[in-house]
Amino acid sequence: MKIMDILVKDAVILDIESQEKDAVLLELAKRLAAAEPVLDEERLHKVLIEREALQSTGIGDGVAIPHGKLPGLSRLVASFARSKAGVDFQSIDGQKTHLFFLLVVPEHSGGQHLKALARISRFFRDASFRKALEEASSTEDVLRAIEEEDGKF
Amino acid sequence: MSETVEKAFVVASELGLHARPAGEFANLAGRFDAEVEVSRGGEWVSSRSVLSLLSLAASQGTSLQLRAEGPDAAAAIEALGTLIERPELPA
Repeated sequence: MKIMDILVKDAVILDIESQEKDAVLLELAKRLAAAEPVLDEERLHKVLIEREALQSTGIGDGVAIPHGKLPGLSRLVASFARSKAGVDFQSIDGQKTHLFFLLVVPEHSGGQHLKALARISRFFRDASFRKALEEASSTEDVLRAIEEEDGKF
Repeated sequence: MSETVEKAFVVASELGLHARPAGEFANLAGRFDAEVEVSRGGEWVSSRSVLSLLSLAASQGTSLQLRAEGPDAAAAIEALGTLIERPELPA
């Protein structure tokens, strides 16, 4: 599975406006639903909030992977957003979150879901990948960095 | 005194070691006075990094090797192993 195949390019947000967690989730849901009409913004926002309530998806190193399951969805859908200032996402290491990778999966997609999370995590483990995203000056830069990483394995 | 303990555990959860259990795992690992590393046969990764744990793509039935070093090594392995072997009902 390539990340470029599930990433909705039109939903990428280079500089997210929201500065606090729920607003970030809403902005992510809004943008992704606008670019991908099969998604319902309100339902998406709701599942993301519910998921965060179980445990923050802020997994440290400035990265969060908000995700949720949506019944009726037929494939995996993803988007990316960046916050220059950083957001308090109650992350596991207590640091602010700058890079958000949103993953929306169909209800019964255990294997695919895990593989997508693994691939995304491998990308973000790489400090030079994180740096490329932090320093990207356009959406094209972001897409180029992801495409390059996709080509590595 | 420091000891090294190594043991393998099989992922029991139908959903595999996805984000939530990986987060729990990293949190739990951080509570012990021991350095614990995890491997599924290749590279050893830190048990305290959710990114590293998720990158293992440990689905149900995957055997994970744990290696711990430090005063709490045995206790850490026992606790983390229990988490790996914990069945989890799909939400």
